[in-house]
Amino acid sequence: MIAGRPWNRRPVAAATAEPITAPPPPRPAEPGASPAPGPRLVLGNRTIPVVLPNRRDPRLKLSAVIVTLQVLGQTVLDFKVSIAQILITIATCALVDMAVTFKRQGVLAWPASALLTGNSIAFILRTNGTKHGDWWSLNGIEWFILAALVSLLVKYLVRPDGRHRFNPSNVGIVWALLVIGPVHVFPQYLWWGPLEAPVIAALVVIALGAVWILTAVRMLSMALAFLVPFTALIAIFAAAGKSFVAIWSDASISGFDYWLKICTSPEVFVFVFFMMSDPATAAKTPRGRIIYGVITALVAAGLVVMQPTEYGVKVAILASLTLVCAVVPLIDAAARRLGDRRDPAIAPPPPAPRWRTSPITLGAVRPATIAVVLIALTAVIGTAALADNRDLVFIERGLTGPRNAQ
Amino acid sequence: MTDASGSTTRRVAPIAGLLVLVASFVVAADLFGTRQALFGSATPAPQPSAFSRVDSSPANSPRSVLRSQPWWQQVGRYSGVGSSEPDLFRIADGAIQWRVTWGCERGRFVVRTPGEPPLIDEPCAERRVSELTKHPAGGMMIETTGRWTARVEQQVDVPLIEPPLAAMRASGASTIATGRFYRIDQVGRGRVTIYRLANGRHALRLTDFYVTANIDLEIRLSPLRKPRTTRQYLSAPARFVAPLDVTTGSMNFRVPAGVDPRRYRSVVIWCPLITSAYAAATLDHRQPAG
Repeated sequence: MIAGRPWNRRPVAAATAEPITAPPPPRPAEPGASPAPGPRLVLGNRTIPVVLPNRRDPRLKLSAVIVTLQVLGQTVLDFKVSIAQILITIATCALVDMAVTFKRQGVLAWPASALLTGNSIAFILRTNGTKHGDWWSLNGIEWFILAALVSLLVKYLVRPDGRHRFNPSNVGIVWALLVIGPVHVFPQYLWWGPLEAPVIAALVVIALGAVWILTAVRMLSMALAFLVPFTALIAIFAAAGKSFVAIWSDASISGFDYWLKICTSPEVFVFVFFMMSDPATAAKTPRGRIIYGVITALVAAGLVVMQPTEYGVKVAILASLTLVCAVVPLIDAAARRLGDRRDPAIAPPPPAPRWRTSPITLGAVRPATIAVVLIALTAVIGTAALADNRDLVFIERGLTGPRNAQ
Repeated sequence: MTDASGSTTRRVAPIAGLLVLVASFVVAADLFGTRQALFGSATPAPQPSAFSRVDSSPANSPRSVLRSQPWWQQVGRYSGVGSSEPDLFRIADGAIQWRVTWGCERGRFVVRTPGEPPLIDEPCAERRVSELTKHPAGGMMIETTGRWTARVEQQVDVPLIEPPLAAMRASGASTIATGRFYRIDQVGRGRVTIYRLANGRHALRLTDFYVTANIDLEIRLSPLRKPRTTRQYLSAPARFVAPLDVTTGSMNFRVPAGVDPRRYRSVVIWCPLITSAYAAATLDHRQPAG
């Protein structure tokens, strides 16, 4: 989902557009300084500035969309995730985010991005054995917490240009699906059910949410740049006879159904509209965003084509964003060479990657840059390795009995 | 002191972080089987499939990671007077438990691996059943003084892959219906074929079959063409065909006399224990050849 730009970055809005992020928080009170305006928390002789949510923050819009989908999931869409799992994942992200912000800035800030990260993880990640309707189940809660911690650790520690490179929830989910693996976790199904009232309601929420949010963050063209080549390539794969097995289908999914189940999946729409569109990690220039959408589509299709299982297809789509986020500065640089101008609604450009201006030597590369490369490699090679995972085929065919409670 | 430790932390932390990422890469790519070693596998170790309800599987039979509801396979029926030969029977390595239904005339009834302590040692009785979970070390023998009988069975959970009955392939036999299983409340896969045998009776064969394991499952014939829910299945009277003790493999069942499969439109795997239709196969009826 949109993780949002860090709250303490300068909010820049187009003249007529809403600000795309929350206003800056008050700076921490310094001894002797006159107190900054705004709410404060007084603990003994210490005054802590408090940053409350801003109702114009687009992250609230996205939260509203995801929460609506979660409600549909809990009531009519048979999502195999419990309310307890959702709340604990969100709380984990919020606590870590507030702690980091307090340590770094000395303020108590409303963790808008972290709430979205937690909600997004709980929206996509599932733990084997969780049953729909078991609302207070803590089954596999450790995997949710782990994914949440990985998301925020990567966000706060892997900052090659002084800002986070990866979409936090994306990297946490991909990590969980690749490292913990299909014996314990799986992604929300591509297929949410027959095209009846519940699924139609979800699609309407997604469509309205997409228009509402993508317009605000100027990402409609990016979404189209992903969807057009992606759906075309999946059609070619379907025509070429590709197929995958899924736990919810008795037969292998091939032909037109292959295209239909992937390209009209609400999960894919959520991915494109609400995860790829994170302004903090997407390309910053209009043309860059087109390139970003197209490249993500090509990588996603390239990883999808080798997958014989729904699990693999889903991870392939998610991992494509992990890889492309790693090279977003290159995409922006290429877009600028093509004469693109930076979107004025976006914060100033980060400094050019160091290796672009000086020859690479391993000793000179910063750990954060090495980390970016390692994460991208893990996403791609781990996803490719899923294609040969025999366990996964048995799980998706439902042949592992009590060992598989997907 | 604080500056020095802070400086050390600043040097060590990035290296530790990178090592964690390298470890994540190794596990995610499943190099050296690390993910399976750390987080386990969804499938058990492969074991040889069984080819009969009587243990006669060749040692080199194909191995499978699929598992069935545990079922009883007969190891052998034996009888004699006095002690048996030293290697009378063996229990398969993968057996979950085993049992001996025995009777003897006088003295004690002892079952042991030669040279090992007895696993069964009881006074003679007309009929007793001894159940054991301890796996014997090797070939087993029976020691007693008078006349005795014993039936040895082992409980296994490997698939059972029976060849079709000879009567199914005999001249005069014909296929009258086929179907492919789909899930209702549980996973069901594979095919069903119903034969009319030369003697006018019917037999049913499941091929490449798998249904979610449970005890006391039953094969039933339903007049409904494609029941989708347990409630739907219950809305029409169904007919019992046979108990389904093995839930994975290819198996044959004789249809009870008086049941005409042509009057039914689907085969349902039914669990009376939890009142649940597990899976079903819509029957595609054919005209008998000739």
